[in-house]
Amino acid sequence: MPWPPKVFWVGAFLFYGWTALCWILEATAKINHIKLAPLLYASIIGTWLIPLLMSVMYFYFPEKAEKARGE
Amino acid sequence: MAEVDPIVIGITALYFLAVIAIGYYSRARMKSATDYYVAGRQIGAVVNGLALESTYLSPASMLGLPAFIFILGYPFFWPMAAIIAGMPLATLLTATALRKYAPTSFADYYADRYNDQRLRWLIGIITMFAAVLYITLSIVGMALFLLAILKVPYWIGVVIGTVIVMLYIVWGGMIATSWNAAFQAVVMTVAAVIAAIAIIAKLGGLGGFWDAVAANNPKFWNTPADAPDVPHLLTGTWIALIGWFFVWHFGFATMPYTVVRFFTVMDMKTARRSIFWCTLAAGIFYVSLQIIGAGSKVMMETYHPLVTEGVVESKAVAVLKYYATTFGVGKVTDYAMIAAVEALKNPVILGILAAGGLAIAMSTAAGWVMVVNVLATRDWGEILLKSRMAKENPILLARIVSVIFLLIGMFISFNPPALVLDLSGWAFVAIIASLGPGLILGLWWKRATRAAMWTTAVVMFFLHLYAWLKAKYVLGHHSFFFLNDILFGNPKAFITPHQVWAIPVGFILFIIVSLLTKPPEEEVVKKYCEDLTKEV
Repeated sequence: MPWPPKVFWVGAFLFYGWTALCWILEATAKINHIKLAPLLYASIIGTWLIPLLMSVMYFYFPEKAEKARGE
Repeated sequence: MAEVDPIVIGITALYFLAVIAIGYYSRARMKSATDYYVAGRQIGAVVNGLALESTYLSPASMLGLPAFIFILGYPFFWPMAAIIAGMPLATLLTATALRKYAPTSFADYYADRYNDQRLRWLIGIITMFAAVLYITLSIVGMALFLLAILKVPYWIGVVIGTVIVMLYIVWGGMIATSWNAAFQAVVMTVAAVIAAIAIIAKLGGLGGFWDAVAANNPKFWNTPADAPDVPHLLTGTWIALIGWFFVWHFGFATMPYTVVRFFTVMDMKTARRSIFWCTLAAGIFYVSLQIIGAGSKVMMETYHPLVTEGVVESKAVAVLKYYATTFGVGKVTDYAMIAAVEALKNPVILGILAAGGLAIAMSTAAGWVMVVNVLATRDWGEILLKSRMAKENPILLARIVSVIFLLIGMFISFNPPALVLDLSGWAFVAIIASLGPGLILGLWWKRATRAAMWTTAVVMFFLHLYAWLKAKYVLGHHSFFFLNDILFGNPKAFITPHQVWAIPVGFILFIIVSLLTKPPEEEVVKKYCEDLTKEV
């Protein structure tokens, strides 16, 4: 059965894991009330940097594998 | 309201001239039907990435999302994060495999993988229905920006927007659409970034911004954990927030107007890298929209000319109602972004916003027109109906189809029923639920069958339409689960934005029907499932 490469799951875990972690900390430690914190963890990191890191992983590792295969 | 500053008019005119010039000069590069349909598969990573951004993010992003934040509070930042994270997920889920396969139309993969050419009819009908809704939404978006910022009468704005999109699609097909969409992505992203920075500066820097928003709306930064002091009923529970989170999350991997862009690039490497550029620009754009949305209420209530000149009371709703009543078009919330930026009283920023708003609307309209003109000309005309004209003169026919779809959108836009504009939200989830399982599972699951494809597409399309309409008209809002009244006796009991449950249900239905029906032919599975997904 075909299966997306490992790096796909790592990227997905990174984003869903970060979201879950932030929501848990919001529910328990109320981090959403720390001044400017949501702008950092939900906007800059959650909306921009993590998706960007995923997109880099999703081209860097497949290209590395292609190079190793001599393509 | 104040007269239009010549600077605003000048920036908008420059934008129009640039778009027309790109369309005109792209004519020279168009030599074949493949050039018209998929830009000769010569688009590079940066151009395709930017084009993906502006095509995928419709005027609903620029007009609607800041308004959603303004109303639903900070928790709505997360659904926006999920939209952006859905972009890289598509890289290895659909984009690379589909580029390896190199189809021409959105229906090609379905027809070949499920070994049934009649699927071209079904995919075509569902896609064209959604296309008309989105083209109309985009034309209305263009006209709203022209009306609210440049005071151009609504019907003239509808005609101007439609004619300019028509010009460049007819001239240069996918080549013009790609280059213009890339240019439009730059314009709309720059517009949002400048407006966000200006709002932060106006409110006294980041610290001042935070304090001003919190003082203006003490519940704004709250989450469902702060119940009962939640920002809004629709973001008042974690279940509701999870619903919002997933409602648009998988659209990038499955929506026709993004999927076809993966066909236009040079190779798989370019397909992957183009999503990096898309995520880079779209992430910056969305962070800017989050800031504008968060600051919009305080900006309107403190600095908007209508408030400072005493025309309306210091309430954001009063400002927005004034816009909607004065212009007589659109919903109150459609004006949140424009009103927030008008409060800056800076004609350069307002002019850039006008260009940005027009850019996001035009690129989405053009993207959808390109999807449907290929489906109608090549799939229906040439392959299914074996039309001589479609075979001998495909570009002419594609141009005629483009004009027809834009004219349909234009005529509906003159007096758009509210339902038509709302239905674009329905169409988004309906397409993911009805066509998404067949695309994703067709690639990644050998057992995916033709019967499952037909069943899921037909059942989920109509079931979702029924559920959405019932939720909206019987229960009162599309976000209320359509069986709330029957199961819980309370229409607001369970929040499922745009009936998002339809997406997992579509996948489950697809799997069940596949397991109950005859497995697909080995040869087809090897060619359209195993080989395409190998080493993506």
